Amino acid sequence: MTIRENKALAEAMRIALQRADPRLSRFDPLSRIISHDEFSTGHCGWSQLVGNYEDDLDTMLPGYAQHTSAMLSTLGHWDAGSHGGMGSSYALKVATRPRKGAQNVVIKRHTFRERGRIRFETYFTFKPEANELKLSETDVRSVGFLFDLQTGDRDEGGERVMPHLRFLNALDGEHLQKWQFKRRTTKFKPIGDTDKTLSHYHLSPEDWEDLPGGDQRLCYNEIPTKVNWTYLRFDFDLEQMKALAFQCNDRHFDVSGFESIRIPAMKNLWCMLNFCLFAETDADKRAFLYVDSVCVSGDF
Amino acid sequence: MLPENITAILARNEYWTDKAASEPYEAGWAREAVIFVRALKQPVGKQPLARVEISPDGMHWIAEGSEFALPGEKDGLAVARISHFGNWLRVAADFEPGAQSAVLVTLHLKA
Repeated sequence: MTIRENKALAEAMRIALQRADPRLSRFDPLSRIISHDEFSTGHCGWSQLVGNYEDDLDTMLPGYAQHTSAMLSTLGHWDAGSHGGMGSSYALKVATRPRKGAQNVVIKRHTFRERGRIRFETYFTFKPEANELKLSETDVRSVGFLFDLQTGDRDEGGERVMPHLRFLNALDGEHLQKWQFKRRTTKFKPIGDTDKTLSHYHLSPEDWEDLPGGDQRLCYNEIPTKVNWTYLRFDFDLEQMKALAFQCNDRHFDVSGFESIRIPAMKNLWCMLNFCLFAETDADKRAFLYVDSVCVSGDF
Repeated sequence: MLPENITAILARNEYWTDKAASEPYEAGWAREAVIFVRALKQPVGKQPLARVEISPDGMHWIAEGSEFALPGEKDGLAVARISHFGNWLRVAADFEPGAQSAVLVTLHLKA
């Protein structure tokens, strides 16, 4: 058997083992699984994105001050009881406050050891709080994800790179249903008096751009308490710091027009590999992002 | 496997006045909860009793029965220990006109 044939056999065995495991079989991970999160085993490191501050919490930017802690939820509904997740009773729940435009963000923080392709996969769903006996399909403004990345400390032309994608479900009551990305962020603002801490709210409502060909009608079941899980995959190259692929359910999107927020490297974030998930409400009611599971893998 | 336990921040530097309440929190997996309230700044005016509330759906709330005095001084702590709460938890308090407190409300849950 040649080396090439050996490698092909090893890869076929890896995939066969993975597909025989019901927990992993629903994902298509690359050769190394960096993390695999199922929320019947806890929060798995997904925590509240807290804003920067110095001396006084009043210095925190308002965009961050609104964030709250994520929950482990059985998607308990007033009319039908617990909905549950795909493989267990539990999902991670990210809830906004009940104020139009309110956002909440959950984050998982790593660093990377290899530059190369990484893959972020998740099964998610979203719904507004079911406090009206209405379809409420335009009450969630968006759900989405972002990575927060920085090159290594010896890399030339160090950059902090933040790919963002959101599913803009509705805006001001209009049902838009399209994917958007962001290449611009708000200006950095010094926090406190010592010039040691800066902050910028990169999820501000401005500067979202339509992903070319990014219209998509997702499954939104007929009342606010029926949910269906949606698959999402985003591939990113940590070497070139560029998007490679984006899939949501049966749709594969062209990412050649996708751009990330790119800013000069910061002095303390080398090899950062952070993942965020967020929700945003378009009405004065809470928006809920539910995450059944997440798999992050790398090609190394 | 160790039993799950987590700390959640229900309110951070929120200026509570009038009829105040923390955002709803789901904790059905937990058998016990401890709630701390810390005054981050010097409270203003008479500080009310806070109460723990539970809910069947996260939208309709009823007093669980536990009450505790909110801190009267900056960095003062108040605490409540809760069990048998079902799924939803929050902390609520009714402030007199002009009274306020900048609160840090933390929830400590254990399976």
